Amino acid sequence: MAQQKHSPQPACRDFEETLVLYYYGDCEGPERDRAEEHLKACSSCSHFLAELGTFLPLMAKPKEFPQSFWDNYYGELRRKLAAGDPRESWWGGRFSWLRPLAVPALGAAMIVILALALPFTATIWRPQGQPGEEAAPQEIRTVAKNLDFFESMDLLESLDLLEALEEAKARNGHGQKL
Amino acid sequence: MEKDPLPDLRDEDLVAMCQRGERRAFDILVLRHMRRAYQIAFDFTHDYEEAKDLSQEAFLRAFSQINRFDGRSAFYTWLYRIIVNLCLDHHRRRGRFPWQRLNGEAPQTGEEREPATAASTPDQEAMAGEVKQRLGTALEGLPKSQRTAFLLRNHEGLSIPEIANVMQTTEGTVRVHLHRAVAALRQSLTGLA
Ligand SMILES: [Zn+2]
Repeated sequence: MAQQKHSPQPACRDFEETLVLYYYGDCEGPERDRAEEHLKACSSCSHFLAELGTFLPLMAKPKEFPQSFWDNYYGELRRKLAAGDPRESWWGGRFSWLRPLAVPALGAAMIVILALALPFTATIWRPQGQPGEEAAPQEIRTVAKNLDFFESMDLLESLDLLEALEEAKARNGHGQKL
Repeated sequence: MEKDPLPDLRDEDLVAMCQRGERRAFDILVLRHMRRAYQIAFDFTHDYEEAKDLSQEAFLRAFSQINRFDGRSAFYTWLYRIIVNLCLDHHRRRGRFPWQRLNGEAPQTGEEREPATAASTPDQEAMAGEVKQRLGTALEGLPKSQRTAFLLRNHEGLSIPEIANVMQTTEGTVRVHLHRAVAALRQSLTGLA
């Protein structure tokens, strides 16, 4: 008997998102009732739901570890915590009140430095440099590295923006990299 | 391994103790949350060592910033947020993870490989491998927001409000990300026998 190739049939457009939530048990009240009512009558949506039940559990297999793994993990982390506890060093205690201000302040400082450095360094370096990565002045590269660091502090905060930037970067190739 | 010595204390109480300088309270938070923390990092990296390093780094950061935790969210969603940020940043710096690592390589702690089911034939095993490869590749290709929402729901079982809290976005946005992720993963299986 010839095997049938899998080609996902679309569920009803208005229901697909609800069915995903329904699959995960995140559908409640009238939305759930509506989904269940619809599923009784719609084979495409029933098929869609059944498919989710076949491949999604394949992807999530929690790992089981022996107790010794967790003992080592916990022991190692406690050592790291003890070694890195800023409250155990003289400066950590004295300047801990500054910590909440440190990142925004440094971030702002970097932006000011970048704003000041860009036109200045561009005039100095442009006549000598080659285009592309090698031509980027050391100061700019350092500032860029630092901005990179600040950008990484909270990626979730600006995911949409970062994704748009990454797409643009991919479209433009590597030429735009500092 | 120590058991939770203060099971009656809530996470918020332990956080308050940490903020008063009682470091032992943080050890208890570690005991309570290390398994989930590690698992989340593993979901993102598929690598046992990297998962350990990143999840431990998240605890270190949480500890060093404990005074900035304002209690508006649960401690664990705050911690997960730190882990996800570290994992996304790690992923961004090192590039994509190869699909072969979907199941990870076993650590040196004696974890057993998945046994093949008695009923599975070589054909079925090859098919299962193909399905996993496609899903793994599709998962890696998802935008970060979709991948994050998907992993937290599908792999970690967090609720939509919890994910919204971790991602600091609305529940509606999480629903959209989750739906798009699932649709893309399903689409990746097109053409399989
Ligand atoms: Zn339908």
